[in-house]
Amino acid sequence: MLTFLSGGKQITVETSYLSRPVPLRFIVLLALAIHGPLLALQVPFTTSYDANFHVFFASHYAHHWFDPWNPKWFAGFSQTTYPPLSHQWIALLSYVFGLRMAYLLVQMTAVLLIPVSVYRYARLWVNERASSYASLFSVFLGALTFLVYSAGQLPTTLSAPLYLLAVPYFYDWSRSADVTALLKGLALTLTAGAVHHVTLLFGSILFAFPVLWLAIIDRGEERSSLAVAIRAVAFAILAGIGLGVVLLPYWLAIIRHPIRQMPIYHASRTNLLLNLDYLTNYFFVPYGMLLLAMPFLVWYGARNRRLRPLVLGFWITFLFGLGGTTPVPKWLLGRAFEILTFERFTLSAALMSLPIVGLLAERLVDRYRRTAVVGLALAALVTVILPMAWLALSPFTSSANLNVDPVDAFLNRDGHDRFRYLTLGFGNALSKVSTYTVANSVDGEYNSARLLPEFTHYGTAQLTSAKFFGTAGMEALRMMLRHANHYGLKYIFIHDSYYEPLVSFAGWKKVESYDNGSISTWSKEDVPPARPFPSDAMPTALEGLLWGTLPLGCSILAILFWFLIPDRARLRSDMLLSFPAPDREGALVSEVR
Amino acid sequence: MKPGFPILLVMVASLSAWAAEMHAPAQVTAGTSLAIATNGSGRGTFYLIGPAKVSKRDIQMGSQISVDADELERAGRYLAILCASDGCTATNFSVIAAAPNRLSLLVHPSRVPVAMSNGITTVAFVFDNFRNLVLKSAPVEFTILPKDGSELRATRQSEHGVAWVTMTSARKEGITRIGASVGHASEVRVVQQVASDACNLRIKASRVNRELLVETDPVRDCSGNPVPDGTVVSFTMTDMGGKTTVDVPIKRGIAKITMPIKGRARISVASGVVTGNDLEVTGG
Amino acid sequence: MKNVLAVFIVLATGLFVVLAWFQSGGGERRQMRSASTPEQAARFLLSEIQDRNFERAYEQLANRSDVDKKTFIREFNGSDGSLLTYASLETFDVWGLRTDAQEASVRARLHYTTAVGPLDDVRDIKLERRGETWKVLWPVNPTPKLPPQVIPVNYLRWDVINPRDGDDWGVQSVDSPQVRIISMNAISRPDSVVLVGEVVNEDSVPAYVNVGATLLDASGAELAQESSFDKISHTLLPKQVSPYRIDFPNLRLERVKKVRMDVKALLESASADPVIEISQQKIETDPLGKQVLSGQLVNESGQVVNIPHVIAAYYDSNGKVIWVSDGYVAQALLPQVPVPFAVDLPAEVAKNVHSYRVVVNHFNTTAQT
Repeated sequence: MLTFLSGGKQITVETSYLSRPVPLRFIVLLALAIHGPLLALQVPFTTSYDANFHVFFASHYAHHWFDPWNPKWFAGFSQTTYPPLSHQWIALLSYVFGLRMAYLLVQMTAVLLIPVSVYRYARLWVNERASSYASLFSVFLGALTFLVYSAGQLPTTLSAPLYLLAVPYFYDWSRSADVTALLKGLALTLTAGAVHHVTLLFGSILFAFPVLWLAIIDRGEERSSLAVAIRAVAFAILAGIGLGVVLLPYWLAIIRHPIRQMPIYHASRTNLLLNLDYLTNYFFVPYGMLLLAMPFLVWYGARNRRLRPLVLGFWITFLFGLGGTTPVPKWLLGRAFEILTFERFTLSAALMSLPIVGLLAERLVDRYRRTAVVGLALAALVTVILPMAWLALSPFTSSANLNVDPVDAFLNRDGHDRFRYLTLGFGNALSKVSTYTVANSVDGEYNSARLLPEFTHYGTAQLTSAKFFGTAGMEALRMMLRHANHYGLKYIFIHDSYYEPLVSFAGWKKVESYDNGSISTWSKEDVPPARPFPSDAMPTALEGLLWGTLPLGCSILAILFWFLIPDRARLRSDMLLSFPAPDREGALVSEVR
Repeated sequence: MKPGFPILLVMVASLSAWAAEMHAPAQVTAGTSLAIATNGSGRGTFYLIGPAKVSKRDIQMGSQISVDADELERAGRYLAILCASDGCTATNFSVIAAAPNRLSLLVHPSRVPVAMSNGITTVAFVFDNFRNLVLKSAPVEFTILPKDGSELRATRQSEHGVAWVTMTSARKEGITRIGASVGHASEVRVVQQVASDACNLRIKASRVNRELLVETDPVRDCSGNPVPDGTVVSFTMTDMGGKTTVDVPIKRGIAKITMPIKGRARISVASGVVTGNDLEVTGG
Repeated sequence: MKNVLAVFIVLATGLFVVLAWFQSGGGERRQMRSASTPEQAARFLLSEIQDRNFERAYEQLANRSDVDKKTFIREFNGSDGSLLTYASLETFDVWGLRTDAQEASVRARLHYTTAVGPLDDVRDIKLERRGETWKVLWPVNPTPKLPPQVIPVNYLRWDVINPRDGDDWGVQSVDSPQVRIISMNAISRPDSVVLVGEVVNEDSVPAYVNVGATLLDASGAELAQESSFDKISHTLLPKQVSPYRIDFPNLRLERVKKVRMDVKALLESASADPVIEISQQKIETDPLGKQVLSGQLVNESGQVVNIPHVIAAYYDSNGKVIWVSDGYVAQALLPQVPVPFAVDLPAEVAKNVHSYRVVVNHFNTTAQT
């Protein structure tokens, strides 16, 4: 510690690295060092469930930017049922880098934004050093690793940091009527919403309410809490209007066709305590060593007035992340409980826990110095490695790595694309097949866009994985095969011999096989060529134009605002907590770095 | 090429028909070369628009334009256009099919039950060497070569490029070769004459150990042809234990099955829609 | 006072977890494991089978010394590529039939999800009391064993050589097989219209057959279009007859003015093997009181039939087809080993049935190339 006089004041500066904040640049580089190689190795394409799905959506935008009607799945569906921004950025970058590399670049951007956003979010709650620790730990989050490399939820992992970046502006605007904060906050909120609607919808409640509460606590004596609340409401109204316009085709799509299909089973909705694999997958893996910090987090956070909103927000989010392990999500969400999957809430809960975890780390480092650093580093490493190890050990295996080239080659030759096709046992490799063929399928991976009665009347997801949904799945498959002639469904590709008896009894014959018989092609000779089905879900040209311009425009606006409009200094350092903070002010002022 | 283009050319050519002249024969045989005389002087451009080909080349006005044989292989109307600096002129001529030298022979059906009146239809399409349908009448010789019989011949004149015959299938099953020839071309098709439905389907039963062996007499159609192996014969037995049914394919002319039997049993037989005799047997 | 929120969070979380645990059957499961009643013991056994913990299920048997573990596991896990190898026990119901001080019997309805659709099985299970708990007495069924032997097979096989893509127009081709619908009957059901009938392959070569139908209303507009799907034997050997059934759900027969039948027939490579005898056919009432057509399947050939599919046509006194029902058989057909089957028959149809005819369709894992 160094003490000197400046302008007649005695200033104390920490000289030990262990007592100073970790530079954000270093943290971003660390994120790059950890996730860069994994992404460069295209790990999400070999292990994740949804990476191919997002590439498929992006592929459609790359070919038909202003036409969101995609005939390749479900005999035609509208991509306006899923916010487009992450896919459009992939499509845009794909013109230079190709689809897969573009996906990885966008995912990398999301991963790098996480520590930046966590740092800015944590600064609302805790001091700079604790914030930097929070940011550092965010790089190692198990939930992040899980969502990127196992779930492949690019929009969630991109939308969450964008939303976290918007929240401090919401705080600034609500608390101090800073108009530039309003503009930047709105631009970021709209961008986050254009990336992922579910994250925004729940983020607005789970992230924003604690911050609004904080803004009221922090308002100072000169401002009334009513004024703060009114500004917050104004922000919400403007954001609501903005989202109404930017995602107008989405709203029109769900008004025309509200999701009324039968609930589809998802393991994240079950009681995790009744199945060790599910408990590991949705609890131990996403949280990792954060679980050890949770008692402290609740105990310390609940004792501190400023941290109470955060603790309550974290707690509710944590309960959501537990799915059916508690009745709370079902009580609060009603029927929506059966539509949502809950693994994404583990990321939100983990992100919300980080500011207090940063405080804990600060306290440990102050008390135990290098021992604490080593311990925390090990805990962080275990947390980031656990999901990767689980990828290898988990009983839930992704088929993303399946070689589907022969399937695409078959569909793209000899006029086979005149008929529709179905894959069985391909899991999430279905998206990969669809991306690289011109032929259309009756199946698809996006449950919310399905309108065919063969899907909506049964509680099943993709037909390609029908057997995992028991009787409901197999009944839906039977119904689709019964109507094969109606849909022009001639070719079936099987990667799981489980489906062969049904397909055979229904009249298909094996015609080819690939990869030493691991994939076989079945054909039914009396099927007429497929015809397009007119649908009232087809977006109009104007909707296509809006969809192709506004979301991307929002993101460009947010980037411009970010770089062109400087942030006003946030004068609230006297309220921020350090734990323990013997040299409170000196350690909090950023110039000390 | 879009159809508007030649129309436009024709219009242009007809408007300025006085500009240059060329003389082409009214009719040419497919696959022969052609010389078109022109007058005038200087350079010009010659277009030839046919049913399957369009060509363009620069020519010297006043000289003969020679059109190669390979440019005139497709029968139909051709349009020749000559354009010079003072305008365009056009002329039409026809290319007709050359001598018959190819056949497309359609024989239906490929399998036919024996003794079916007018059961076989044979149609020959007459083409020249360049696959142009020869519309001029030409004699097509049809030949029928039964499996164990002597060859039959019949000649029919083609009309508009098509000649046909219908015939009754033989009473004896087996392969028949049906051919057609014209010019140097000949084609052969194979028709399989197969036994008709089983006739007088009869079964008999004998005891083998504790079971009953039920077998048919050799299964033949009403013309005496053996019904092909693989044809399904259905046995139905009703005894005290209930009903027993088996679909048995004919093997070496007969179908047989062994069945356990309880008490008195009634056995019936059928093949397709044909039923046979019933048997009453008593078991142990 | 400062710790109130922390304590609240911890207690509330604990309470929620406990509540959800009971809601999702955790308590019931715990009670079931105690096996203090015959129903609980049977449920416990079946829940272990449901979770595919066959070892632990086997440990619940009272007569382990008499029951071969592998045979027990095969009863649920299937063998020889049978339908049960493509199945998992999805749900089950158990209800008591009789309980004494030391012995009891319960009836269990097992609902499997299989590769070809749902499959139900009803079993009566005997139990005996062992101290405070009940244990299942599993029936001992000796597996029939065939002596090793060589069965010569020289049945016909038909192969098809199709014209190549580059062949000229008019080149010799082979005609599609001649097939004919020999009967069709439209039946009104409470919630659907059903077309039943029979189709015959009149040709001398095997045919792939599919029967479709379009229902038209009085104005000629299309009401619905369906096909026979798996309620037909798609491969018909020469002169073979297959029943077919086409279901039109959610439709009333009164609305139907016309039926347009469409039978598709294509050449198909096929084999005349295997021959399956259907013996001891009779209409009877099953333990649940339903009318069924039951019988035995005997594989007369040397090759194992993995999944048999029974299709039955029922005729009235005029010889008209009045119903077609079908069912998949859970066990594989080993050569010469009889396997029982039963297919449902609606009670109101059963009283009009004068005769019936059964055909067996099959799937073999090795014969699909």
